[in-house]
Amino acid sequence: MIKGDYMKFYQKIIKKPWTYVVGGIILAILNIILFWFSGKTWRITSGFLYWGMGILEKFGLEHSNWYYFNVYGNELTKGKTFFNNEYTILNLAVILGALIAALLASEFKWKKIKSKKQLVFALLGGILMGYGSRLSFGCNIGAYFSAIPSFSLHGWVYAIFMFVGAWIGCKLLFKFLL
Amino acid sequence: MAEVRIDCMYEACPIPLIKALKKLNNMKIGDVLIMETDHSCSITNVIEWAKKQGHEVDYAEVADGEWEIYIEKRR
Repeated sequence: MIKGDYMKFYQKIIKKPWTYVVGGIILAILNIILFWFSGKTWRITSGFLYWGMGILEKFGLEHSNWYYFNVYGNELTKGKTFFNNEYTILNLAVILGALIAALLASEFKWKKIKSKKQLVFALLGGILMGYGSRLSFGCNIGAYFSAIPSFSLHGWVYAIFMFVGAWIGCKLLFKFLL
Repeated sequence: MAEVRIDCMYEACPIPLIKALKKLNNMKIGDVLIMETDHSCSITNVIEWAKKQGHEVDYAEVADGEWEIYIEKRR
């Protein structure tokens, strides 16, 4: 390839963000392929739930009698463990893939923590998101992106209230935090 | 013509845009807002948003992976 062509390819494919339409179509195709081959749709926080359960178990905490797992079960595939399962691989692969994309686009950068306030709110936000995602059977991937194509009504309910939540969150940010 | 600086270093979307929106509300026409950011998405979304609002926008990379975005309030 001559140099001009390569630069054009680099700018268009590697460096610049893709459009939402292209990204959406690729994600949809990948999710179909994943479902086809593994019988599972893409989920994120289920993997973190399993890690949390696995860690608690290592500390000797008995969680199989918890109300949550008695009502909903943990849906772990037969023969898989809390650490060795599909979602562990998917979650690690997402981070690895994002790292490769960032490195190729020379966008990689270590970010500092700005202040104690940022740290506290980041932790609080993370805990709220984790808590909420388990009550709604997933985050915006498991309970929205994977639910709607499965013709599950709960994906649509999730979508409506995700927008309501984001709107309220923005108002709170604007009024109290910035 | 006043110059206002906002520090958006180490902050991710949508914080820089909301901070800019809030600051611009209290500024006079002709004033310049200077945003310091290290978030590459801000280079796209803050600039796109400010242009759509009808403001004059420019930016410069002041250090490796650190930018200043200049927004002149027009309306």
